[in-house]
Amino acid sequence: MKKPRAGPRLHSLEVPLDGMTLIVPSAVVAEVINPLTLAPVPFSQPWLKGVMGWRTLAVPVISFEALVGMPEPASPAAGKIVIFYPLNGRSDWEFYGMFATAEPRPQALNHSEPVATGSELPDLPYIAAGLKVGGKLMLIPDLEAMKKVFYPA
Amino acid sequence: MTDPNQYLRLQLGDTSFLLPSSSGFTIEQRENLVTNKSPEGNVAAWRVVQATRLPAYCLDATLRVTRRHLWHRAVFLDTLPQAVGLAVDEVQLLPRAETAISPFTPPGLPPTRLGHLFSGAWVTGHRAMLVFEPKALAAYLQSLGEE
Repeated sequence: MKKPRAGPRLHSLEVPLDGMTLIVPSAVVAEVINPLTLAPVPFSQPWLKGVMGWRTLAVPVISFEALVGMPEPASPAAGKIVIFYPLNGRSDWEFYGMFATAEPRPQALNHSEPVATGSELPDLPYIAAGLKVGGKLMLIPDLEAMKKVFYPA
Repeated sequence: MTDPNQYLRLQLGDTSFLLPSSSGFTIEQRENLVTNKSPEGNVAAWRVVQATRLPAYCLDATLRVTRRHLWHRAVFLDTLPQAVGLAVDEVQLLPRAETAISPFTPPGLPPTRLGHLFSGAWVTGHRAMLVFEPKALAAYLQSLGEE
């Protein structure tokens, strides 16, 4: 396990999912809200769970578990919806939501957290890397890969 | 005459979708259509125009073909090579001031050769009503065929 050098703090959010935990920079998260009724989007991908209104925008809500091919939580209504800012290079209205199983928790990373080795990472797509934070594996989503599947050319 | 920024609300079962009025359409009463009396096939009814039969399809809220019987009108989209219809429980032309449409493209691969079926949504609070992309909707309806 590599141990990177200590550095300035990076404010992050730990996003609990079913069977894994994501960690993302706080700057990519716009808001965390309680689950609400989504409008289904016919003929959409199985990981797109619906669309909701948020600040006058129509925001698609995804299941990261479904995106990576894992079983989905039985009751997403028990958790939260994390609303992310648009992915890099996308239009300023392209916010998207993701189901979380519980309220995301803030984490201040200082670059001293060990980076997970390949063998410690689950064999899943859309995972860029992993960190061991307080001994717990947290996965960094591959936002560039997500952008390619959200917005195929 | 309709305003290009006006929208038709199309009710399919318990769900409604919007159709931009600029797409060009004709609304027909059910009694002016020839109902498909066979339990087989995707077509709910036909509009007969100069010996040409234009199909109308009855879809559920997931846009799958169904044979619901409680529809009253069909909205025919003006498209090539010929118009194609969608049977609706209710149709309502919404006042322009009432609808502010937000852009919306479903993430992921589009389901039709002409792209995504939706291009916007009417957001009221946390509720979002999807707006059809007329060309993609017409392509989807045309793909249903007669069988």
